[in-house]
Amino acid sequence: MIMNTGLKTILFAAPAVLGFFVPMALGGSGAVYAACVLVAIFAVMSYGLDIIVSDLGEVSLAHTVFFAAGAYTTALLSASAGMGPILSLAGSILVALAVAALLGFVTLQLREFVFSLVTYAVAVVAATIAQNWSFLGGSDGLRGIPPFEISLLGFSARNDQELWPVAYLLLLVAIYMVSSFRRSKLGKAAMMVHLNQRLAVTSGVDPQQTRLQVFLLSAPITASAGWLYAYQRAYISADVLEAYFLILMLTAVVVMGRRLLLGPLAGVALILVQEKFFSFGGYVDKIILGSVLIVSLAFLPNGIIGLFASIRTLFPRRTMPIGKTIPERS
Amino acid sequence: MNLTQQLVNGIVLGHAYALIAIGWTVLLGVARLVNFGHGQMYMLGAFVTWYGISRLGLPYILAIPLAMLVGVAVGYVMQRVMLQLTLKQDLVSIMIVTLGFGYVLHGAAALFFGSTGQILSTPLSMEDVYWGDLWFTYQDIAIVIVAILFFAALKYIIDRTRLGRLARMVAEDPQLAELAGINVKRVYLGVFAFEGAAVALAAALVAPRTPILTSMGFDEVIITFVVVVLGGIGSVLGSYLAGLALGLFVAFFGAFVSPAYAMAAAFAVLIAVLVIRPGGLAVSPGGR
Amino acid sequence: MNTRPVLETTDLKVAYGGNLALDLPRIAVRERELVGVVGANGAGKSTLVNSLLGWSRGSPKVSGKVLLDGRDISALPPHERVKAGLLLIPEGKLVFTQMSTEENLASTADDAPAGQGRRRYSTDEVYALFPRLYERRHHLGSQLSGGERQMLGIARALRLGPRALLLDEPSIGLAPRLVSTVLETVRSLVDSGLTVLLVEQNVHAAIEVVDRLILLERGRILAEGTASEMRDDPRIAEAYLGAHV
Ligand SMILES: Nc1ncnc2c1ncn2[C@@H]1O[C@H](COP(=O)(O)OP(=O)(O)OP(=O)(O)O)[C@@H](O)[C@H]1O
Ligand SMILES: [Mg+2]
Repeated sequence: MIMNTGLKTILFAAPAVLGFFVPMALGGSGAVYAACVLVAIFAVMSYGLDIIVSDLGEVSLAHTVFFAAGAYTTALLSASAGMGPILSLAGSILVALAVAALLGFVTLQLREFVFSLVTYAVAVVAATIAQNWSFLGGSDGLRGIPPFEISLLGFSARNDQELWPVAYLLLLVAIYMVSSFRRSKLGKAAMMVHLNQRLAVTSGVDPQQTRLQVFLLSAPITASAGWLYAYQRAYISADVLEAYFLILMLTAVVVMGRRLLLGPLAGVALILVQEKFFSFGGYVDKIILGSVLIVSLAFLPNGIIGLFASIRTLFPRRTMPIGKTIPERS
Repeated sequence: MNLTQQLVNGIVLGHAYALIAIGWTVLLGVARLVNFGHGQMYMLGAFVTWYGISRLGLPYILAIPLAMLVGVAVGYVMQRVMLQLTLKQDLVSIMIVTLGFGYVLHGAAALFFGSTGQILSTPLSMEDVYWGDLWFTYQDIAIVIVAILFFAALKYIIDRTRLGRLARMVAEDPQLAELAGINVKRVYLGVFAFEGAAVALAAALVAPRTPILTSMGFDEVIITFVVVVLGGIGSVLGSYLAGLALGLFVAFFGAFVSPAYAMAAAFAVLIAVLVIRPGGLAVSPGGR
Repeated sequence: MNTRPVLETTDLKVAYGGNLALDLPRIAVRERELVGVVGANGAGKSTLVNSLLGWSRGSPKVSGKVLLDGRDISALPPHERVKAGLLLIPEGKLVFTQMSTEENLASTADDAPAGQGRRRYSTDEVYALFPRLYERRHHLGSQLSGGERQMLGIARALRLGPRALLLDEPSIGLAPRLVSTVLETVRSLVDSGLTVLLVEQNVHAAIEVVDRLILLERGRILAEGTASEMRDDPRIAEAYLGAHV
């Protein structure tokens, strides 16, 4: 038993430590660090959505709003109020929780496409507000976000290479949270609500409360990605609410296969490597990204990993369909 | 601000909204399907019309069917690709796939038509009508007439014809419909092709009112959502009324409060309705 | 008399996942014959009639041949088999609940003639057969009673001009008196020229109306014979008693 847990810890710790050295192994150039930091940030962003789509079985299209909430809160708190990263992270999480609670409350009764439709509308309205509200900088956005500095620890990150440890740590925390969520009571309850709501209710699970809780867990994860993104870019504008981030997240969640712990990370890495190093220009990249999303859902029910069943063991998976069939109505 | 003028604007806008939403209404009410690429299909319809008129030199009246034809092709291809998902009624995947299609359409349109804004001007949109101190264009009149005719025809077809009945059977229970000898796949393909044609027609008529951009689909679709949900998901008559109500709301809100936030306000109304009576918005398959 | 069966299957095998649910060397239903299929719960009765249509609410693997009037229809999708004249009234949901009786009966068939050996009933004819449906013609499917739905299910099939009719447990959930009414209606349809394969749980009621009976157990044929042969067959009682132990 003890042996087993010890072995498990090593099994998880070893790749976690090794992962940190990936940018160095890839040559350690500025472009590599920039790409790695972005992969980490966008992967964290996607993990927030992952538990909604893969576990709860709903499609939230408002996750760009949580991402933006984190980014804008950080910009406002750091550039205007002069707060440090720790306070701005706390602020981002609080704002995201508030938005998620509100959205969760509004959509509590809604299912499936009505839920998605409302969340999509929220994203569009948020984009309108961000573009027009001068408090958020309007169409110019917010500039002058200071570098990432925690004076208490004497830590400062002025470029992507120096930001990498923070990004990597954030990624590990997000993965750890998703993995413990899946093993938790809440994670099991979410899965039950997803697969068979009626059965869940008779087993003493409150579907609405479960949905709300998962939502409240998911939002801060995505928001914390926005938090770091603000520091990485040093300015924030309404383009964080663009469809690009939404499609990126969704593709990352489904492309490798659903409910794979490392799926979103691998998905984001795949997409960003294409965009950063094998780009065909913005529009063609759009077509590629959209097509990857379409193909992985329409033709690869088990994602790319499903194609390579042999390496499946690398990714602990539980096969669960993403879509539930609509219960028969009579 | 002239109150009657706002009323006229609202009526025109309302018919425009209803027309834009009609494809979705049929998708939902008749086949229980969704399409989150609707806004981009609207964008494509507008650009094909524009391309037909200003690049191919077609008369407006021929550019419209061209746009509809492209719409049919896009709708057909979309449904063809996701047919298995549709047959499994995997709505969650369908939502994401259609979102992906919208994204692809956006990229493709920007590649082909360029990303600069264009003005789609038609012979009708340049003819102003002054009536007392009211002002509108022939384009506005065309929108109202076509919307009314389209809704009337649609309501008739769904309620009273064999085609409408087949579609409603598929909506209620695709498997039972198969046992009635209905080619379910063909109905699904047909419904999506219709969605493509309907949204292209709407675009060809409505898009001349504002400058067109390849990135406009993202916002455009929200109107449809509000209309469809307020109208009682899938109800043809409900969509028409909801479109009209939304048009009036946006016109008056835009004139008296703030045009930039008119859509956001309309959306707030939607949210309020959803919170107050979520149960009243349950899908009724084959709804009229 | 024509000796070629109207409906025939050879080597029909159906599996759900890896489990073989049905394995039948041959089944044949002749013209104007009413063949009953009985067996315990889970014996494979529904699986049999559904697979004749290639239709299912699950996704089984089906192999073997289905012949209708000697024509191999096993490659056709369900709706094409329906058009060819093979009609199934499934277990469970029989009618479109959001539509009125009248709309349920409005034909989905095209105008082509029904073809040899087939008779497409008109709305008036089915109303004459089921006067009850005429009274309820403006009611929604969801407002009909179980028995009325069963009638409407049969009526809907008749409207499509069946060459062979497959009925899956028409008596389920009906009061005993109604069971015999429904079964007698089926018998009279056969007497007027229809060919029917009838799945029935209620052996005693079925044996009164069928020409031949097939007893299924765990996806295989346990016994087969004419109604009078089967009436006293101990295996029938056994199969059912066995199922209850
Ligand atoms: N969709 C499905 N998926 C998996 N197994 C199935 C499915 N449908 C039926 N089976 C299995 O196939 C076998 C035969 O089932 P079938 O429904 O044909 O029985 P039946 O004789 O009609 O029973 P009943 O009298 O209860 O209707 C059963 O063991 C059943 O569990
Ligand atoms: Mg059965």
